[in-house]
Amino acid sequence: MQARHSRHPMIGGSLLGPIVGLLLVCPTGPVEGAAQIPAPSPNPPGKVPAGVILVKGAWSSASDSVTPLPEGGTVAGREYSSAYFHLSYPISAGWIQQYEGPPPSDTGYYVLAQIQPPDTQRSASRGTVLIAAQDMFFASAAAKSALELVNYTGSHLRADYVVERRPSEVKIAGHSFVRLDYVSPVAKLHWATLATQIRCHTVQFTFTSADTGLIEHLVAGMNDMKLPPEAGVSSGAGGDDAPLCIKDYASGGNVLTRVDPIFADRHYNPIPARVVIDRNGKVKHIHFISSFPEQAKTVTEALQQWRFRPYMVNGRAVEVETGILFGTASDKTLMSLSGGHAGR
Amino acid sequence: MVRIQRPAAFAVGIMMISAVSAQTDPGVRGGAINGQTGATATNPLPLASVTANTPTGVLEFFDDGLDRFQEIDNVSGGTAGTGLGPRFNFNQCSGCHSQPTIGGSSPASNLEAGVISAGIVSGSTNTIPSFITANGPTREARFPFFFNANGTANTSAPNGGVEDLYTVSGRADAGSCSLQQPSFALAQLANNLIFRIPTPVFGAGLVANIDDSTLLSNQAAQAGNGLGISGNFNRNGNDGTIARFGWKAQNKSLDLFSGEAYNVEMGITNETFTQERPLPGEEVLGTGLPANCLNLANKGYPEDITNFAAKSSPDQFTVNASIPSDVIGFSMFMKLLAPPIASTTTPGGATSISHGSALFTSIGCSVCHTPTIRSTQASNVTPSLGNTPVSAFSDFEIHHMGTGLNDNVSQGNAGGDQFRTAPLWGVGQRIFFLHDGRTSNLLTAIRAHASSGSEASQVVANFNSLSAASQQDVLNFLRSL
Repeated sequence: MQARHSRHPMIGGSLLGPIVGLLLVCPTGPVEGAAQIPAPSPNPPGKVPAGVILVKGAWSSASDSVTPLPEGGTVAGREYSSAYFHLSYPISAGWIQQYEGPPPSDTGYYVLAQIQPPDTQRSASRGTVLIAAQDMFFASAAAKSALELVNYTGSHLRADYVVERRPSEVKIAGHSFVRLDYVSPVAKLHWATLATQIRCHTVQFTFTSADTGLIEHLVAGMNDMKLPPEAGVSSGAGGDDAPLCIKDYASGGNVLTRVDPIFADRHYNPIPARVVIDRNGKVKHIHFISSFPEQAKTVTEALQQWRFRPYMVNGRAVEVETGILFGTASDKTLMSLSGGHAGR
Repeated sequence: MVRIQRPAAFAVGIMMISAVSAQTDPGVRGGAINGQTGATATNPLPLASVTANTPTGVLEFFDDGLDRFQEIDNVSGGTAGTGLGPRFNFNQCSGCHSQPTIGGSSPASNLEAGVISAGIVSGSTNTIPSFITANGPTREARFPFFFNANGTANTSAPNGGVEDLYTVSGRADAGSCSLQQPSFALAQLANNLIFRIPTPVFGAGLVANIDDSTLLSNQAAQAGNGLGISGNFNRNGNDGTIARFGWKAQNKSLDLFSGEAYNVEMGITNETFTQERPLPGEEVLGTGLPANCLNLANKGYPEDITNFAAKSSPDQFTVNASIPSDVIGFSMFMKLLAPPIASTTTPGGATSISHGSALFTSIGCSVCHTPTIRSTQASNVTPSLGNTPVSAFSDFEIHHMGTGLNDNVSQGNAGGDQFRTAPLWGVGQRIFFLHDGRTSNLLTAIRAHASSGSEASQVVANFNSLSAASQQDVLNFLRSL
């Protein structure tokens, strides 16, 4: 019986071209396994690097490598800074980011930084700082602003928690934030969430500790933050140095030319994309919050053909940043572009 | 069909909590198997309505499925099932799915390590890989990447398929088939080797019977959790609905799950997976399997089929149950298998367990490990499957688990670091934890949830902030499940 052929000729033809059957054996004839398995080379075989995620699922990506991205902030020394959000946050002395956050979710949720004392520091007063952002174009919760999102969170806390401070506005570093405090009586842990809106994202600082004094100290430290002028609980719509962010701009008469992407392979995951439209109505930058590489390529090729009506402010065209949800998920809460409606 | 009646070989390694201050995993919970009165190591209990034989005849299907789940397969000839190999991991479903009873996960005594002495494989043509040890866990192996000619892993060429441990070569019933094992040692040198342990299948019919909308509602309810958690679902590539079985929720149905396992783990072709499966490298390179290793059972393909000529019996229900293929029999067994019942008092006492349960929720574990999903859709199979809450402690979403648990294997839409939230029902009597069985210590397993890129790091930080006594209560609670 003849050997069977690959059912994946494309893979066999290109990607796997240089691959040999090192771990295979000769199907016929003498046992050649020992001969087929090369003797150990003088150099030890290269290893798959430990602690590196090489095979990724849907992940974030962008059409260029220079435009700042929401997830592109860094923790360096005693500061978290984000070029995208134009903010910097001072980190308490001795605290570190032990672990980076996961990639952005397909609902536009970002873990920007996780800060805590090192495990070796076993003081009585420990806590954590979680800096996160929710893209308001793609949020699961029915909220249009940071204020509404935190109100939603406060009204949907599980029974395990007791609200210690209802959502209320506070001033942090000269900007309005909304603050929500709650406690788990059984775990004796307190949470304080402070949120503001920047570029149509709710940026949240969540402090967790058994020590409310530590939490207040950390909240006070927020006053040393640097924030963009737009930051506020109901403002935060870009502008100035950043594009103006407008939800659902890629709809109706704003879209002069539209070419829908046609996905050849994967069909059932949502593909949220943040798109910057230049003053001439062309796509300038695409940020895929979550997509497979081949999907990003397909959408990019389509979006490059789109033309938008330029958005005018005081008679002058400005750059616009908007969100478009491609793909489908068999999820009734999602609407696909192919259904004639972009965004949620 | 041959059933192995083994003693309760698994070690009930109950570790008494001593008066030490540090928190410790209480170990495998003793007492009733799966918390069920009447269950034994070889007789797991079906759902209540199946025990009541509602509808009439369903109990026969469960018993028949249980028998088939214990069937020992040979390559050819004899009175047992045939079709084993040419490559396989073991020759019997229950050899790997047996802790604490049939249908469970890896036992303490790893039968994969004894295949030569048991005459299942030839010692002249096979060796026991170094990572297969007598004390377990039971494992399957995968190479995340294909290899270059010089023995290095080609990280541009993802593989991820199962590399079966053994071949039938040298067995008296395998003719002239000559196959070699994959080079696990070289793969290990290249750090290009990962493992998976068996997933327990108790309560699997309930999981199968949750409507997608219920899972989506549960997902929506977790939005705004403030813990850095935001999972999604692995969806079936054909119809876009939610898949939910396997370590990465890559399988849509129990039929698919059992058909694939019969083919991949035991090398038995069936009506779902109809061809003998070469190793991934043999497949993509087009070499396939050698002709003298095909049709070894000498009965054509697939080797497991519907029994069109059902066995004769005066009992119509016995006849009915004998008609489906083994794959459907396995699926039926899993579908009708009862979920474990948690203890309210062991280990640590009711107060500790209750406190641990509340802590489990408060610190955020329950965002992913949803204690109960309400409820299954109505069922035409048996009443116990319908309109029933599913206390599996899982949201059946896939979550990023970071660099620490990443295995660089993609299945469906799940990437290398994405795993289904492992259901925790029955965890109290499991021995090995995490997808590769790397630990038998629950505390180690909890802490392994934190690493760069993991959605669970904040929750682990919350756990670490608890007092030792509270952490002990969480561990007691988990071992009560």
